[in-house]
Amino acid sequence: MSNKISQAKQTWLVTSWEFMHFFKWKQEVVSKLIIVSIGLVVFLWQNIKDDSQTIYTVAVPAEISLPETLGHFHFVATNSSAQDLKMEFTHEASWDAIVQEVTLPNGSKKIAIVSQDKQSWLEQLQQQLLQHYTQDYAAQLGLAEPQLAVLNSPASFAYEYLDQSIKTDEGPGKATAIGMIILLAVGIFTSFGQLFASITGEKQQRVTEQLYSCISPQTWIDGKILGQLCHSLKAMTTSGITALLGFAFTLVVLQGKSFDLSIIDWSLLPWLFVFTLAGLFLCTAFMAAIAAAIDDPNHSAKTSIMLLPLVPMIVSFITLDNPTGWALSFLSYFPLTSFVAMPVKMSLIDMPIWQPLLSLTLLVLLCVWSRGVAGRLFKMGMTMYGKEPSLKDMAKWMVKENVS
Amino acid sequence: MELDVSAVSKQYANVLAVKKLSFNVKQGEIFALLGPNGAGKSSLIRMLTGFTLPDEGKISLNMDNQSYSSIPAYTLGYLPEDRGLYPEKSPLKNIVYFAQLNGVSKSVALQDAEYWLERFDLLERKVDPLKSLSKGNQQKVQLITAVIHRPRWVILDEPFSGLDPVNQEKVVVFLSELKAKGMTVILSAHQMAMVEKLADRMLLMNKGEAVFYGSLQDIQAKANTSSVLKATFSNEIDVSLAEQLLSGINYQLLDARSLKLSLTTEQSLNALLPLLAQLGELQSLLSEKMDLHQLYLNAIANHGAVTHVE
Repeated sequence: MSNKISQAKQTWLVTSWEFMHFFKWKQEVVSKLIIVSIGLVVFLWQNIKDDSQTIYTVAVPAEISLPETLGHFHFVATNSSAQDLKMEFTHEASWDAIVQEVTLPNGSKKIAIVSQDKQSWLEQLQQQLLQHYTQDYAAQLGLAEPQLAVLNSPASFAYEYLDQSIKTDEGPGKATAIGMIILLAVGIFTSFGQLFASITGEKQQRVTEQLYSCISPQTWIDGKILGQLCHSLKAMTTSGITALLGFAFTLVVLQGKSFDLSIIDWSLLPWLFVFTLAGLFLCTAFMAAIAAAIDDPNHSAKTSIMLLPLVPMIVSFITLDNPTGWALSFLSYFPLTSFVAMPVKMSLIDMPIWQPLLSLTLLVLLCVWSRGVAGRLFKMGMTMYGKEPSLKDMAKWMVKENVS
Repeated sequence: MELDVSAVSKQYANVLAVKKLSFNVKQGEIFALLGPNGAGKSSLIRMLTGFTLPDEGKISLNMDNQSYSSIPAYTLGYLPEDRGLYPEKSPLKNIVYFAQLNGVSKSVALQDAEYWLERFDLLERKVDPLKSLSKGNQQKVQLITAVIHRPRWVILDEPFSGLDPVNQEKVVVFLSELKAKGMTVILSAHQMAMVEKLADRMLLMNKGEAVFYGSLQDIQAKANTSSVLKATFSNEIDVSLAEQLLSGINYQLLDARSLKLSLTTEQSLNALLPLLAQLGELQSLLSEKMDLHQLYLNAIANHGAVTHVE
């Protein structure tokens, strides 16, 4: 015979059902394999392939004078003209490249680097040649090495603020916070699409009454929120790793530079995580409640309301320029925007710990309240077929008694 | 353990779906809710399950030393009027998920699901997407979902819908087994022959009101005031003439030479005989007991004139 089952266990069952409903094993395995492959390429490139050890041979026409070696480029002086060298180069490839030089009317030189095809080391050759010509020209002007350095960078700049709380060196904090906000948008968009499909689908497939016969609307929406929250976190993690690997690929493979994780402010991450978690919960609860009120997804005006959670992100971006201003201060405590605004503010200014704690407490309280409200709206929305509740009806249900 | 419904009413916008309805359902019986479309059966069922609350009246159920105002979810198995499972998922996944939500462990749910799928000839389709099954097979999966957790109360809103006669018979056996296992079954159906075989007691509703209520025998006894007659003629019946002469009478053409007539209390045999004589040479006129189908048709046709049976 059936047993009484706890609400927590039912919530867990709905959560895993909701998560697995959108979790496609094949797709996940393929996408993760791609990510791992990119990571492997970056690793191997950085650790095994070392371009600096490869010597490239560059043929130099008779009219140009270049040193025998610049970095890992070996220059072979010839007696041929540039035109002859180019002709010869098309028939045999004993050189990796040839250089041609034209003096422009203003005295500067235009250098053409000719190679068989596009290669990543050509940019390094250009850098070496530029450095050589700069030093050569400085010598012609009678400038010593230190004078040349000053000419290249005659002044450096720094910002100092009388408000001591503003960080003079933003370091990786701002980049980390902005990165997290972008990932949060990814998470919210993921939930938006899936919640919309899942809830309107369940309404149209008439699963509602079958589910209501064994679980309460509150359990149902709790499970949905948690399932989608897990999906959002998965999407954010995957996107974060993919973005980092993409960045690493560009730096290491395409630009030949080294890559490390100093671009992330690790001290800010725990705060970002808790604010993100609470923010995702809030947004998902809101979107689930609205989606439940949509009867026909193709003709409902309420679909656009589901995108409201993106507003805090836009507003926080606008106020970024003035981190100590009243606007960002207000937004960082106001629970509907604090999940975005407070982490941004924390990345820009130093603040006592009670400030993020207070903001987080207010946000958690709003999450608790909105869970109940979402449950009530969900119950109303899911039991109305063929007719959408008006905004007035929804407002009434927001303050009704608990539905669990 | 008895479910008591007392003077319950429910209104939606301008429609009074259920009007001061009173009845009870006893433990272990099969109780049928009958009535034409829009009679208020599904509205009543939604109140029994607690999805909606009555505007007036009271539903009470005393069970496990506790009093409930609807059938509690953990004792309920439900086949809703609005059918629906997850069409992308397999029958097995759907059944096991709902069984788990009702407190059955996954291993037991899997075992029981396979048993029931085999009983309904669906074992080979257990991992196919539900949407690839025929409507009748989907109905069977929905039926299994409603009872897989062996609930104490089973509410089935039109369990025979979409099933062929063979499968309808299977469901009759299935419901009898549920009753034998001690489950109380409330079913709403339009298939009077099935209901006649299964139901211990029944409630006929029309326009939200009770038209008759009790066992078939009780109802037949109460309906004795009206009668069913079988008239057989030596000649073939002129159908258009019959239509013309018997326009106010509920009758059914049995074959080319015989008719079944249901008379209400207002219709007398004296008035009928001259009409029958005009149809031809009357060979025999026999009195019959009304079956549920005739009782239903008569009761709905005369709703308002019929006395409520309590």
